[in-house]
Amino acid sequence: MGATEEVQGGPAGAGFRSFADGFRATAEEQPERVAVRFCTAEREEAVTYGALEATARAVGRWIGGRCAPGERVLLSLSPGTGFAKAFLGCLYAGVLPVPVPARGTYARQEARIAAIAADCGAALVLDDDLVESAQLPADGGGGTPAAVAPRTVAFLQYTSGSTDDPKGVMVSHGALVHNIRLLARNQGWHSGMTWCSWLPAHHDMGLIAMLLAPLHLGGTVVLMSPTDFLKRPVSWLRLIDRYGAEVSCAPDFAYDLCARKLGEEQTADLDLSRWRQALNGAEPIDPATLARFAERFESAGFRREALTPGYGLAEATLCVSSAAVDEPPDVRLFDAAGLAGGVLRPPGPDAATVPLVGCGAARGLDVRIVGPDSGRERPEGTIGEVWVRGGSVALGYWRRPEETARVFEAVTAAGEGGFLRTGDLGARVGGELFVTGRLKEMISVRGRNLYPQDIERELRSLEPAFHGLPSAAFGVPVGAREEIVVVQEVRARDLGDEGPEALARRARAALSARLGVRVGGVVLVRLGQVRRTTSGKVQRTLMRTLFRAGTPQAFHAVLDPELRTVLAPVRQPR
Amino acid sequence: MPEPTARVEPDEIRRWLSERAAYYLERPVEELDPGAPLAELGLDSVYALTLCGDVEDRYGLVLEPSAAWDHPTLDALTAHLLAALERG
Repeated sequence: MGATEEVQGGPAGAGFRSFADGFRATAEEQPERVAVRFCTAEREEAVTYGALEATARAVGRWIGGRCAPGERVLLSLSPGTGFAKAFLGCLYAGVLPVPVPARGTYARQEARIAAIAADCGAALVLDDDLVESAQLPADGGGGTPAAVAPRTVAFLQYTSGSTDDPKGVMVSHGALVHNIRLLARNQGWHSGMTWCSWLPAHHDMGLIAMLLAPLHLGGTVVLMSPTDFLKRPVSWLRLIDRYGAEVSCAPDFAYDLCARKLGEEQTADLDLSRWRQALNGAEPIDPATLARFAERFESAGFRREALTPGYGLAEATLCVSSAAVDEPPDVRLFDAAGLAGGVLRPPGPDAATVPLVGCGAARGLDVRIVGPDSGRERPEGTIGEVWVRGGSVALGYWRRPEETARVFEAVTAAGEGGFLRTGDLGARVGGELFVTGRLKEMISVRGRNLYPQDIERELRSLEPAFHGLPSAAFGVPVGAREEIVVVQEVRARDLGDEGPEALARRARAALSARLGVRVGGVVLVRLGQVRRTTSGKVQRTLMRTLFRAGTPQAFHAVLDPELRTVLAPVRQPR
Repeated sequence: MPEPTARVEPDEIRRWLSERAAYYLERPVEELDPGAPLAELGLDSVYALTLCGDVEDRYGLVLEPSAAWDHPTLDALTAHLLAALERG
């Protein structure tokens, strides 16, 4: 454990082969090969490596005439081929591209773009029209990529944290190439392959795995818009089929959406037998989703071995580990009491179990499981914070030296330094990484560690009125202790004659009994009150903040008296 | 691609929309209040867009991605669709 295998092509000083070097090699050797193909229902646009290189040079010259090297340039582009042109153009000009959403769809996105522009001090915002005009003087000549060293910042990846406090991860050229090489080696990616993606390019998985990796390696990527996918999920699968794509990544919710909602008539003639790698990452992976998707699309030729769970984060460029290719996902049942005690072990007879998905062995990076407070390394099977060191780790957060020191420069109790603290909890079992949850979201009650998703699942199963509705479980500090609070959505019509108070009391008692620890509070709220991200993830930290401010419109809240002392009063409208 | 329907009754649109929403929510259609905000019915933004896609396919229209937010109830979405269909 702990040995870092050097991934070929990683930071190696003078012989450094940058992302753009790899791209230009294909442009010279196979200029007619299609680099990016963008498809909508009405039209298709294909850009060859030769054309993309010429355009990147023109865009680079255009940017170079307006910005000094090292300045930040926002890429606020609609789905299409423009993003690849603009991103490469920035590298050619030696400025830092900063991918953000396209303007104009939602007010919340506008606010986020403005916050990012302010944080990075953007010199320019490239939108669709500007990229269009910037590529006009494509008269050849001049314009090779700016020279880079492995520790030169390549771009800023803003993390999907809170809207008003965006953090820009500084991904270096060395880290970018290291992570692409790591992915390529783990997954067996090569220049002859076709990738297919609907992921937004401002998302780390969409950018690294599905756009920059194929461009660096000399592959072809077939793109569609995220909105087209969400409007017609089947169009993603059809595009994979039409182009025989071997690789496509998506977060768990996308697989769930396809497995649950596509009718047989929509998928009757679908052939997914050539889809070799269906990578699943970027959010917690539900074992039930993997099973449902494999079963639903077996008749379309989809093989269970194609499902490839992975783990990673923008602070490590993208990928930390991913499951072995051409093997079925490793879903294991662990002892539920063991999990609560911080250990992953096989269940005893008749013991309650929790299924977890293996995210493969970390290869090419030094991954440790560490006590978050002690800094001591934990043995096989014991849960701790995932720490990562190696060539893929980013340089830090843009202009945030304190947070950079805290997150990127962690030192173990044994005095080994330079580790990235991921904030994720997990354990190694048989060399494989199992991620159990977020450190910030874990609730410690009387020596037991409880994961919000487990509490929420228990609660849902207790009352028919909760079935299929979201809830958020979180810990609220009361003095030195932590109390469990659950906010659960209910429908007004399901409250019936007994009313919300009786339901909340019964649920709290039953949940306490089920978990074996006291539950400090159960709050019943209207539908839509449990905040979720656009991809459906429950925003537990936000819910805790709202709860403490007394914001959720509650039907009823049963709370411990001690809890009430640390809260603004919860409004009870009726 | 399905043919755009020549003449559409408000009740027919509302019923069809309710059926699609009920399908995504995994609930009986008679439980849905067409005057209630979609978000309060439990339809998150992912399914709101999928619902827009269904509408486009059935009625031969192109909706803004934000249609389900701009017209946040089944009744409001029905009225929006009727107006769009009448404009042709």
